[in-house]
Amino acid sequence: MYGFHGRLLHVDLSTGKSSWIDLEETRLRAFLGGIGLGACLLYEYAPAGVDPFSPANPLIFASAPLVGTGLTTTAKFAVVTKSPLTGFIADSLSSSYFALELKRIGLDALIITGRSAAMTYLFIHNDRVEFHTAEHLCGKSPADTENMIRAELHAPTMRVAAIGKAGENKVRFATISNEGRHAGRGGVGAVMGAKNLKAIALSGDCPTKVADASSIEKIAGALRERSLSSLTDKYREIGTVANLSVFNRLGTLPTRNFQQSTFDDADAVSGESLTENNFGRRHGCAACTIRCERLFKALDGRDQRMEYETLFALGPLCGIRDPDSVLQAAQLCDLYGLDTISTGGTLAWAMECGEKALLPEAQKFGLRFGQPEAIFAAIAAIAERRGIGALLAEGSRRAAMELGGNSSDWAMHVKGLELPGYEPRSLKTMALGLAVSPRGACHNRSGAYEADFSGEVDRFSIDSRRGSLVAESENFAATLDSLIVCKFLRKCFNDYYEEAAEVLSKVTGWDCTGAELKRAGERIHNLKKLFNIREGWSSDDDWLPERLLSEALPTGVGAGVRLSTDELRQMIRSYYQARGWDDQGYIPESMLVELKLPSYRELKV
Amino acid sequence: MESHRTITDASAVILVGGKSSRMGRPKALLPFDGEPLIVHVVRALKKMFAETVVVAAPDQELPSLPAVLVRDEVAYQGPVSGIYHGLKAATREVCFVTSCDAPFLNLQLISQLLAQISDCDVVVPYWQQRFQPLHAVYRTSVLPLLKDQLERGELRPIFLYDKVRTRKIPEQEIRRLDSEGLSLLNMNSPAEYDAALQLWNKRNSISVSVELFGVARLLAKTQSVSLDLAQEATLAQVFSALADKLPVLVGRVINSDGLVSGYTCNLNGLDFVRTPNTKLSSGDKIFILSADAGG
Repeated sequence: MYGFHGRLLHVDLSTGKSSWIDLEETRLRAFLGGIGLGACLLYEYAPAGVDPFSPANPLIFASAPLVGTGLTTTAKFAVVTKSPLTGFIADSLSSSYFALELKRIGLDALIITGRSAAMTYLFIHNDRVEFHTAEHLCGKSPADTENMIRAELHAPTMRVAAIGKAGENKVRFATISNEGRHAGRGGVGAVMGAKNLKAIALSGDCPTKVADASSIEKIAGALRERSLSSLTDKYREIGTVANLSVFNRLGTLPTRNFQQSTFDDADAVSGESLTENNFGRRHGCAACTIRCERLFKALDGRDQRMEYETLFALGPLCGIRDPDSVLQAAQLCDLYGLDTISTGGTLAWAMECGEKALLPEAQKFGLRFGQPEAIFAAIAAIAERRGIGALLAEGSRRAAMELGGNSSDWAMHVKGLELPGYEPRSLKTMALGLAVSPRGACHNRSGAYEADFSGEVDRFSIDSRRGSLVAESENFAATLDSLIVCKFLRKCFNDYYEEAAEVLSKVTGWDCTGAELKRAGERIHNLKKLFNIREGWSSDDDWLPERLLSEALPTGVGAGVRLSTDELRQMIRSYYQARGWDDQGYIPESMLVELKLPSYRELKV
Repeated sequence: MESHRTITDASAVILVGGKSSRMGRPKALLPFDGEPLIVHVVRALKKMFAETVVVAAPDQELPSLPAVLVRDEVAYQGPVSGIYHGLKAATREVCFVTSCDAPFLNLQLISQLLAQISDCDVVVPYWQQRFQPLHAVYRTSVLPLLKDQLERGELRPIFLYDKVRTRKIPEQEIRRLDSEGLSLLNMNSPAEYDAALQLWNKRNSISVSVELFGVARLLAKTQSVSLDLAQEATLAQVFSALADKLPVLVGRVINSDGLVSGYTCNLNGLDFVRTPNTKLSSGDKIFILSADAGG
């Protein structure tokens, strides 16, 4: 088989047994790899209704056909499991050398089930699986864990993914981290912690074979060239932090827990200011020519990675106006292995509760908008589930349910996943995308905001096209996330589906068309939805937080604009129609058959 | 010049037959705002008059005009002759008379003058101690008197004013609608022509600001620049003015087509626009940013 290894490794931590299982080509062709293959295996391996923290919940690391081919931006892997934050699918991507090493093991997916009796790490070297005690690594940061494992196994080239304290303590938005990057959203690190699995170390020697190496080399050259054109200037010259000043000016920068959509001190924490005042170095994932990562000098002199989402969530969303504090908060999240968006979102919720005198602990803690010291302390408390941290470690949805009052009205999440830095009231296509996404409020599994930012639609109002725009964007993202190609390369294709299908064909030897690829995207998205339906999804879950539907935008160019429940309902209806689902958002049986997905008859809830 | 939607049932008479001796070339044909001056004046007056009459010297060359063209019988006889021939050709009873070298016509002021003709024969501004007979309103009922004047060789129009019901419009009244009296400004020398052109461009330009984000901001080392552009300027002119002002952006963010691929622009935070012929208004804010909002 080309592009794939045609097998997966299943490790059961409870029994200490591992087994290699063949993956048939038809399944790989239908679900590709990455998010698609991960979703497919999740559906199969997760017992219906499984508790995310139970040993039976599979933690799946999925590779993809383009990984290891040398094509730019393809060194990525997916982590898929049932999310402890949402109760639905968690599908996160991370990247770089760990992705390459995962594939070099000679597998397309690694499935981990069970639970070790004590904290353990896995070392997988080609076909050999070793279980090592990790008790001495408890409490260590992911970065320290990586270094210590590498040192003790005397394997400097091995690659490690690890959890920090937050994962060990099952903070519901804990990450899995490798080389400073994170499979960030949905709490995949908490699932790993629940398995008493501190880290996975990999070392492999199996190259990825491609069917038509000379064609791939040519395509790789062309893509590399396009990846260095003006189309990627933003990512190459500033990084995603460039979004902040633009979003502020366009009135779409969530600030002070979405109470505002502009931030008075945006200039101080803008990407441009960081670049001018704090620039440390530029970095990139393995096999990437764009190299979007920016590391900025923190107060302690160390370089800290910073992305727009982290900058927004730990900056304006919490009212923090000085870049040094944002960098320090980001350092802490990396140290403990916390999703920065959910951390910022949950802290901002607590700050507002404190402001409204609903949460005395927040006031005692000094958690107030614009107060960085309390944020630093709160991040540590969350990771250790100490004091108020025990409540906040549950994420904003559960915390609000526990606190009661009407604090759920400003718990800014969808399906339990905290909102990213795109204000839905001034980006109405995005509002729909956030409401219906299977993984919760997510800006990655669709790029619904693109229509709003392109002038293709009026971003302040709605129309009947939004449903199909969101559905198409989701299908598009599903293929990118399954092949896997980084989204920052997406504008470098002239005819994405045709070109990507050609790449896939040259890698695998299949004769894949653009239409087939597009269909695969649709299939993958529907499977994720089907998983959610199996896990108890209902149309009530496709909705936005009350604040967005009851308060007009108070500031910025969109001041006064509202998003009404009626508008949201209309857009959701148009989305279900565009998807071919029934008016309650369920996939018709006939469509499952057409897409060759499991039938409802097989559901055993 | 304000737009004027209602058409008045009166004629506009434009005298173009002067000698242009100090100017050194025919005033009617001087380029003004991208067109010959006479075209400019006719265009302005057609916005409010039912009829426009142009009075030229015999054999004077003129571009084709949407106006009634009449000629003096004798060349360079002076304004009385021009007014006489204009009123004679006009089909309306009330006529506003001007010369073609007054480019800053103010339609509101002209309306005000017309409104005051009711029980008079002439309405004439009195500006800086002088009558302004070539920015005045006349009834065609004065034609016989003008004919007499011509026969007697009285070539200055003011001789008429004592003989008919004349309303003299004092300076302060004019200033209410035209504080600097620009309507009454005419051009007799190349220096006056240049000054008038400059003034026109200044009064008719728009000011926009360009706000730079991301790469553009870092390259230009500034967050925003303001640009003065011709009225009705388009996005293409913004890019071209920006290229002059911030050459560091050329090739990186802007090029001869407008924006380099990968960049986009937004108008006032509301509309994303890429069409170079998008028209702009004064005060517009143009944001130049990355076309990719991914993060």
